[in-house]
Amino acid sequence: MKEYTANEELKLREAPTETYVSNILRRLRRNRMGMLGLAMVFVVLVAVIFAGPLSFGKSPYAMLSPADLKPGQTTPEFMTPNRDHILGTDELGRDAWSRLLYGGRVSLLIGVVASLTSIFLGTFVGLVSGFYGGWFDNLIMRFTDTMMSIPTLPLMVVLAAVLKGGVLNLILILVVFGWMGDARLVRGVTLSLREQEYIEAARAVGASPWRIMFRHLLPNTAAPIIVSFSMSISSLIIYEASLSYLGLGIPQPTPSWGNMLYNAQNYIFSAPQLVWFPGLAIFFTSLGFNFFGDGLRDALDPKLKL
Amino acid sequence: MRNFLVRRLLLIVPMIVAISLIIFILLTLQGDPFHQLLMNPHVRPEDVQILMHNWNWDKPLPIRYFNWLKEFVVSTFAPRAGNGWGFSLLAPGTNARALILQKLPLTLALSGGSILLSIIIAVPIGIFSALHQYGFGDNVGTFFAFFGMSMPSFWFGIMLIIIFGLKLHWFPISGMHSDMLPAGGQLVDFYAAPWLARLVNRAWYMALPVSVLSLLGVGGWMRYTRSSMLEVVRQDYVRTARAKGAPESVVIRKHALRNALIPIITLVGLTLPGIVGGAMITEQVFALDGMGRLTLQAVLGNDMFVAMAILMIDSLLVLFGSLLADILYAVADPRVRYS
Repeated sequence: MKEYTANEELKLREAPTETYVSNILRRLRRNRMGMLGLAMVFVVLVAVIFAGPLSFGKSPYAMLSPADLKPGQTTPEFMTPNRDHILGTDELGRDAWSRLLYGGRVSLLIGVVASLTSIFLGTFVGLVSGFYGGWFDNLIMRFTDTMMSIPTLPLMVVLAAVLKGGVLNLILILVVFGWMGDARLVRGVTLSLREQEYIEAARAVGASPWRIMFRHLLPNTAAPIIVSFSMSISSLIIYEASLSYLGLGIPQPTPSWGNMLYNAQNYIFSAPQLVWFPGLAIFFTSLGFNFFGDGLRDALDPKLKL
Repeated sequence: MRNFLVRRLLLIVPMIVAISLIIFILLTLQGDPFHQLLMNPHVRPEDVQILMHNWNWDKPLPIRYFNWLKEFVVSTFAPRAGNGWGFSLLAPGTNARALILQKLPLTLALSGGSILLSIIIAVPIGIFSALHQYGFGDNVGTFFAFFGMSMPSFWFGIMLIIIFGLKLHWFPISGMHSDMLPAGGQLVDFYAAPWLARLVNRAWYMALPVSVLSLLGVGGWMRYTRSSMLEVVRQDYVRTARAKGAPESVVIRKHALRNALIPIITLVGLTLPGIVGGAMITEQVFALDGMGRLTLQAVLGNDMFVAMAILMIDSLLVLFGSLLADILYAVADPRVRYS
């Protein structure tokens, strides 16, 4: 064994300890695109969380009345960006900047909650199916395949038309058609881990199936799940916007990026600025989550393929 | 291989039944299509009664479903003039098959063009990205790929319309072709114009929609090509090729690229099903009268049998697309053996 001098020993103690998490964080910090994505996501989160103060006291619902007009302004509707309304006003004379911020809240909420719920459901299905295997696994996976083969967008449209929009209903619709990918992913990992020695050891000491699934298998599926979470938020935000674009998203007057675009497309000749910003916001947010998710994947497991 | 094919085909049958059942139930949530037909003043109530009876719609749901399934199978395998997958509510007098055949060419041109365009753009960039991993070009390529994947397609379409249609007047913003075309120094009717002029005109009209659909594909194809190429260039046989002194261009072209392209071929099979879903939004943006719009109209207008037919075709494309992918994989790569 090597003898350390007192000085060397001191140095060793001062050196930062390397842990699993610190390793990941170091790799993530080195990934420029990932950090860019994180910064973009951070900007969006700050903007929607502090929507109140950032909108300078303008309510997203208040319609400007002709009496409030300043000299030189003609109508309260379709104002171009100016000092009072930095993005102008929409077709009802509402402040577009304020609606953009509050709309982001709704869009992001739908994206995050729907993504989380799909992942919970998908992970549960995948874990149970992969762990028990046999005919049970076969049945569940055939059902998953069936759900995956169904054309998603047209049936989302049907469900949205039946359920009549609303935040909760929209989340439900996105989850119904969103859990299959995660279920397959988790099942795949579970199948490969199930035969490993530490699971056998857990069985040998008499751990119950649920304990094995949730204490021993679940933590090992964390890496792909986290990446899938980050990536799926962006696609769910786009899905929400697409449904809203078809007129089936969040009903007015609640703003969301999708329904702002839906309204604005009628005025692309007269007020194209109303189309630019909600779309740009969706694009910026989903780009951020995609960059971050990609960086996270490289940091968590360079070999991982998603 | 034959055993594999038979097994896969046998597995597809119960899945088709399950899929059709799920779609059928979801569509009936919207209400009774016959009830809607009764409200149409141009349709006699007696006729509706007869129609309802013919489709077993006066019986409970399971019988309705099996009746529909029987009709679907019969009119698929033994098509007669009158039985094209069920009548259309929104376009009375026609049936689902007539409607679909009428709208299909446009959508096929649109999505075929965009698949071709995105492969032509994405594969070379993906290969370049992989060969210069983490270099400047790779970062630009990756950025562009994510750019395409993060873009809401309808917004991109609207922006293209605003910029290239309304501001610059470079491209038409909707429709499929001009009414009149210049030919021989004078304007003639579109259908009287020479074929080349018609083709150019159509391509001009399709330019913006195809760009929108392609952008969505390019990102995925590029990332896929990149990772496939990255995997191959690390293989031992590539190192061997270099070690024996083969020039770098030959190593890349002959040894790496050919193997990297195998998984990409199979991806073509998996792209087929996206056709209708992708076209739905794009056709709506550019007011094109194809399958996508037909789907949306049928689904929203509760045009039950038309919607069922389209969604079934789309699901069948998914199932056979993935089967095709497996087969192509085995054809392109002799190491793959199914049993």
